Amino acid sequence: MSTDRTLQRKESAVYVQTLLEAVKAENRVFEVSGQLEQAVTIIRGNFELRNTLGDQGVPLAARKNILAELFTGFDEALLAVLGIMVEREDIPLLSRVNEAYVEAAEEYLGSIILDVTTVVELDAPLREAIRKKYSAQLGRDVLLREHLDPSIMGGIVISTHGRRIDASVASQLESARAVLADVTSRG
Amino acid sequence: MKKLVTSVAFALGALLVLPALAFAHEGEAAVEESASGIGLLLPKLGEWIPMLLAFIILWIVLAKFAWPAFMGMIDKRTATIKDSLERAESAKIESEHILVENQATIISAKKQAAEIIADAKVAEESVRAEITAKAQQEAQATLARAVATIETEKKVAVAELQSSVADLSISVVGRLIGADLSDDEHRRIIERYIAEAGDLDVN
Repeated sequence: MSTDRTLQRKESAVYVQTLLEAVKAENRVFEVSGQLEQAVTIIRGNFELRNTLGDQGVPLAARKNILAELFTGFDEALLAVLGIMVEREDIPLLSRVNEAYVEAAEEYLGSIILDVTTVVELDAPLREAIRKKYSAQLGRDVLLREHLDPSIMGGIVISTHGRRIDASVASQLESARAVLADVTSRG
Repeated sequence: MKKLVTSVAFALGALLVLPALAFAHEGEAAVEESASGIGLLLPKLGEWIPMLLAFIILWIVLAKFAWPAFMGMIDKRTATIKDSLERAESAKIESEHILVENQATIISAKKQAAEIIADAKVAEESVRAEITAKAQQEAQATLARAVATIETEKKVAVAELQSSVADLSISVVGRLIGADLSDDEHRRIIERYIAEAGDLDVN
């Protein structure tokens, strides 16, 4: 893997362009963005998996098998690109590839992708309410990438392009806890 | 010396002869005196003259030879006594002088001793006061540190307790929310939060 940033950006762009071209035909651009986001979260959050995928001592076929088993049901083109990144030892570029893919996908789809995290699945009225509010706010149509996370305890967390609105019960309880501790400490 | 021996021999010879003459007439006189009482008291002329001569001779001999020696001895003794008295007086004066000096020395020594004792007392008082003040300062500093430490530990303990209470309270509330809320109630909360949530400014 190259250590030059410009070169890394170019390599990431090649991966993104390859993946985007592959999924455009099947109109799975948005769906693959969710899968890519999920793959990045899993690989980035698992040190042993990350090391194994980058270990030259492990046969390439075995590493690709790990990807295939881990991401069963994911788009074939995405799995192929991930396999190439493993082969070329470019797994550390995965987060950059994901960001670039989201930008490319948004440009291709003409929409902004919002990551929405809740405890329960959104229903149609809620999706519509979110789209309506943030379409008006951002001036573009929005696409929702939905995630379920019981740790937020309730409410909703919305993020895109590094911006984040945390309206979760967990964060509000944390604020309440801080206020409670502060108030009691001041007597 | 020869003259002295001659004079003494002459005197002793006169003394031996004259009383014999006197005793030769003693028998006759005794008979006559026994006649009257006053005769017993008055000397007889024949006895009186030899006695006078013997006395004069004795007086001359003594005055010439014995008296000067006697007086010389007396003078020598007087001088010795006078000298002794003078020396005694001198010694007495000297001893009185020494006594006075000794008394002055004793008084001075007593005075110095009193001053030393007084100084020692003052120094002792000063040292005692200094030690007492230092001990009090150290005790106060120790007490202040202890109070500060206790206060800090108390604040830490209270803060930890408050934090624990807050954590526990929030944990309980969180569990109650997670356990009690249905999906529809969660969705209503989401709907409310969406309405209340701020802007996503990505530009």
